[in-house]
Amino acid sequence: MNYSTTRIAGPLMLAAGLLAGCGGISDLTKERVARSETSVQQAQQTVGNSEQGALELQRAKENLDNARKAMKDGNGELADRHAQLAQLDAELAVSKSQTASARKAADELLASIKQLRQEAERPTSPTETQQRTTDDK
Amino acid sequence: MKHRYTLILAAAASAFVAACSSTPETIAELETARAVVPQVEASPRAGVAATNISEARKALDRANQLADKGGKTADIQYEATVASRNAQIANEKILSAMAKDEMEKGTAERQAVLTDARAREAQRNAEYARTAEDRANALERELADLKGKKTDRGVVVTMGDVLFDTGKATLKPGAYATIERLATVLKEDQARKVLIEGHTDSVGTDEYNQSLSERRAASVQAALFERGVEASQISTVGKGESTPVAGNDNAAGRQQNRRVELVFQDDRSKVASDTN
Repeated sequence: MNYSTTRIAGPLMLAAGLLAGCGGISDLTKERVARSETSVQQAQQTVGNSEQGALELQRAKENLDNARKAMKDGNGELADRHAQLAQLDAELAVSKSQTASARKAADELLASIKQLRQEAERPTSPTETQQRTTDDK
Repeated sequence: MKHRYTLILAAAASAFVAACSSTPETIAELETARAVVPQVEASPRAGVAATNISEARKALDRANQLADKGGKTADIQYEATVASRNAQIANEKILSAMAKDEMEKGTAERQAVLTDARAREAQRNAEYARTAEDRANALERELADLKGKKTDRGVVVTMGDVLFDTGKATLKPGAYATIERLATVLKEDQARKVLIEGHTDSVGTDEYNQSLSERRAASVQAALFERGVEASQISTVGKGESTPVAGNDNAAGRQQNRRVELVFQDDRSKVASDTN
């Protein structure tokens, strides 16, 4: 590299940096939006068609759309915020869905225990009682 | 009374003024965050969502600071929303953890209930087996009283010739006591099966003897039916003169050969499967 090239390259690089600054979208923001996209996709898979978390998933998608739009408009801060909110809503959707499954499993277990208890408290099962009456005839 | 009323009014007015001066505009997101963040922080299971709760607190603090400094509404709204979302996520994680705790406790409880139920079932079965055994023992005693002989085929009770009218199939009244006891035994244990065999001596034609043996077996069967024994428990066969138990060359031997045998098989399950 000779002297003249360096002399031109310096200001050019500065100009490029300024241009990027004008665009206002840092790599960090792009990364955040991309991460939110992944999270929303994962939440979509977890929530599926179930009711629990559906509202939050919808909100996550809207935030993600807003983040992309802000990025296109060159508003880095707004893109960042919407990406962050999309991320949180996706996480909330997943949490809600997981809570619903855990709750359902626990409720089913408790119901099965209740049923077992009732069966155990009965002196004999109906078939056994019938058998005995026949035998005692 | 009037004095107190004025006081209340004054208090309300001052509260109104205070509200106006400290927060010129109410930001719903901030109010929500202020309500929900302390709730999750106070949860006994806050530990399962420590990161979210810490994020929620930091965001709420930022929102409060912005509000105090008269920051931009959009900024306050954003921080408050981040605080609320983190608090909500924390809440879900706490609820999940609680459900899992219940699962864990429930699994152990279910196991205990099952073990308990099995123990009760075993006890019931033991009691049932005991009564069945008692009945079986009673049956053995009855058969022993009836001078039943244990043979390879089972316990054999013999009803001798004297219990029938000579050359006929009619039971004499003397046989009734025996029939009564046999009926009781069979009704006690319906799994018990009996084979009634008629036998004769060698006097007379084979056909006559065969027919007589069948009719004698049948009249014992009929007497048992009359006393309520199930048909499925009894089968009959006429053996004629084919199976003597003594010599036919003297009167005593011939009398022994003229008989009805009731065969109670020992192995009840075997009898059941044999007849099926």
